[in-house]
Amino acid sequence: MATNIMLGGVGGQGLVLMTKIICQAGLMDQYDVKSNDVVGLSQRGGMVWGNVRIGDKIYSPNIRPKEADILLGMEPLEAYRWCSLLKDKGKIILNSKRFYPVPVQQEQEKYPEEDIESMKKRYETFEINAFDEGVKLGKKQVANVILIGILAKVLENEGETPIKVDIWKASIKQNVPTKAIDMNMNAFDLGYNFPRFY
Amino acid sequence: METIEKIMLTGNQAISRGFYEAGGLIATSYPGSPTVGIIENTKAYETIYSEFSTNEKVALEVAIGGSFNGARSMVAMKHVGVNIAADPLMTFTQTPINGGFLLVTGDDPGLASSQNEQDNRIFGKFANMGILDPSDSQEAKDFTKEALKISEKFQTPMMLRITSRLCHSRSVVEVKERKEKEQSEMDTKTGEYCMIPPGSRKAQFFMKERLEKLEKFAYEIEINKLELKQETDTLIVTSGLLYNNLKEIAPNVSIWKLGLIYPISKEKAKEITSKFNRVIVLEEMMPFIENELQLMGIECEGKKYFSFTGELDVPDIEKGLYNAGIIDNMPERIEEFVETVARYPVFCTGCPHRPTFDILKKSKTKIIIGDIGCYSLSALPPFEQSNSIISMGASIGITKGLRKAKVLNDNNEPIVAVIGDGTFFHSGLPSFVNLLHNKEDNENITIIILDNRTTAMTGGQHNGSSGLYNEKDDMKVGIKSLLEGIGFDRVKEINQYDYKSAKKLFEEEIAYEGLSIIVANGPCALKYNMEEPYFYVDPEICISCRSCIRTGCPPLRMIEYEGIDKLKSSIDEDMCVGCSVCAQVCPVNAIKQSEKIDREGGEFIGN
Repeated sequence: MATNIMLGGVGGQGLVLMTKIICQAGLMDQYDVKSNDVVGLSQRGGMVWGNVRIGDKIYSPNIRPKEADILLGMEPLEAYRWCSLLKDKGKIILNSKRFYPVPVQQEQEKYPEEDIESMKKRYETFEINAFDEGVKLGKKQVANVILIGILAKVLENEGETPIKVDIWKASIKQNVPTKAIDMNMNAFDLGYNFPRFY
Repeated sequence: METIEKIMLTGNQAISRGFYEAGGLIATSYPGSPTVGIIENTKAYETIYSEFSTNEKVALEVAIGGSFNGARSMVAMKHVGVNIAADPLMTFTQTPINGGFLLVTGDDPGLASSQNEQDNRIFGKFANMGILDPSDSQEAKDFTKEALKISEKFQTPMMLRITSRLCHSRSVVEVKERKEKEQSEMDTKTGEYCMIPPGSRKAQFFMKERLEKLEKFAYEIEINKLELKQETDTLIVTSGLLYNNLKEIAPNVSIWKLGLIYPISKEKAKEITSKFNRVIVLEEMMPFIENELQLMGIECEGKKYFSFTGELDVPDIEKGLYNAGIIDNMPERIEEFVETVARYPVFCTGCPHRPTFDILKKSKTKIIIGDIGCYSLSALPPFEQSNSIISMGASIGITKGLRKAKVLNDNNEPIVAVIGDGTFFHSGLPSFVNLLHNKEDNENITIIILDNRTTAMTGGQHNGSSGLYNEKDDMKVGIKSLLEGIGFDRVKEINQYDYKSAKKLFEEEIAYEGLSIIVANGPCALKYNMEEPYFYVDPEICISCRSCIRTGCPPLRMIEYEGIDKLKSSIDEDMCVGCSVCAQVCPVNAIKQSEKIDREGGEFIGN
């Protein structure tokens, strides 16, 4: 038994901290946990990815193709890039804020809007502009915690490796600046109570 | 009852923790992916002296000094860093070890962030070191402690070899208390650290005997584990993360998992392998363990089934096992990711390198010799402005030779070399001295030193140009004064963000038919937290020329505006940090700055 969570984003979005928060929450709720976050060339602007595996006993930190249960897409193109890792019944948590890569900016290629739309039809998708919602809460940096809130609810509904809300919050508190704790708790609640769940 | 504390650690953090628990005292490094995190983490322990040294050679030497006095010492570097440190390493390893000595090498199968894929297990053997290879964070911590113990017991230097995947991978680790280790003080009587003949000749025998003792010890070492499975005649020998990838597949084989991968006990290897009809070695990159076993006369296979390059992930291992006839069903071939629009790494929003390469792209220079650092990204779209990237500091020497060869071929076209401040201090400086010693008349070279006051690519570490250049700081002079002080007579300085002045200076210096140096200043926008009021485009003024777009700054994009036919430029105000470069390249002043606003955390240091 294992829940495989894949994360895809753009360098600078805070993906490494995301995996850390998820890992710590998993461990605090007594699971075995392994993660990767592959930071390739440069920390900003390039594609970055990571993954977390939570279960009773985890060997490899890597997720095999078609074995991911949840894809946490921090950016739509990056979600699309990694969707081949999803199981047929896998779910996507999607931040709809777009970051346009060089070939799109230089008008050599089009941002793959149609592919992203068909991906959303193929998999159950929880979509939110976490960036805008974060700005509304006070700082764009809390966007990721909104996505974690959604993840918490999805894991709870899936049943295999639920993690308690208190534990999620404790893990977040350990990893954000003290003065930003309240804002982050609000961000988590906003994600956790995401309208799609009702 | 002692409660066991379990925490999640990356491989890098686990090594730091292991060094701390083992009573380690001196930890050094030069920042390089994937091992940057090790020293960043030891810095958090007050009982450990940690430093990022000028380069890997110096880092190694500082650790050697610590070990000489009996202090447990560790030096960490990326795989290619060992090349820089090879000179002291190859001689130091001939001496007996006093305080436990550990060299951590971060290998990079798959070249996630490196210029080559060298297998440093070869280096470990070459330097007569014992080599440990951990498979998860718990082992990274345990093996760090084990290595220091072995080092002292056998008076041998040890290598901990870790791969980039494991450096960044998190897993559960049980932490323990630190145990102090007394220093014994340096032995100054025997001359055993003086590696000149005849002592250095004697040292050859000492080294050989030491390795033989270690090989005997390897017979019963507990970190080499045999997992026997009934009803199989196949043994897989493996180490590191690949063990865990293999366990994920759970094939019907026995597994000999090596923790100490060099030296391997010949007696043990023969004893174990003789029970099997087939022995297959699973390892990334070179056939290191495979060769070791074959040297012992053990028949085995390995690289026949597994690639010589890249990482071996679960599907790669499955494919190899299928080809070897160990698993029956060929796994379905599924791409790991969907082929779609690429997202290359780019200069950050506000990066001082952006105007430099935008200017160079527009200049008459056809040859730009690049170097290692953030500015290596200039080789990628949209700039594509570096014609060579080899190794740290290599640009200056290469430019010298290239210039000479071209002159001999009656070609005097301009050559530009670029080098960052971190790389300048790492290994660039000797090449500058060489340029001066071997200077010729009318040597048409323009060198641009990109001084962003930090080692940015690896996360913004402090280096020789990070200080304030005053009496109280580590460096009292900047790069310009330093070069002038040793005798360069044409060194100019320019603020990178002053686009027009920079462009004019670049053009003048490239046109100058001699050796000239430009120190291009501009603090790293990320490290120094540039956060100026954002810029915006007035679509009524914009003429859709795309000058701003070609700078490749991430917040910029051509969009449709209501009531306007043509696409016009736009700026994502939430991403813009206000560097002003787009506004400066705009020919019609269509890009303007928003009102000055108070934003939190503005620590940007201007010029």
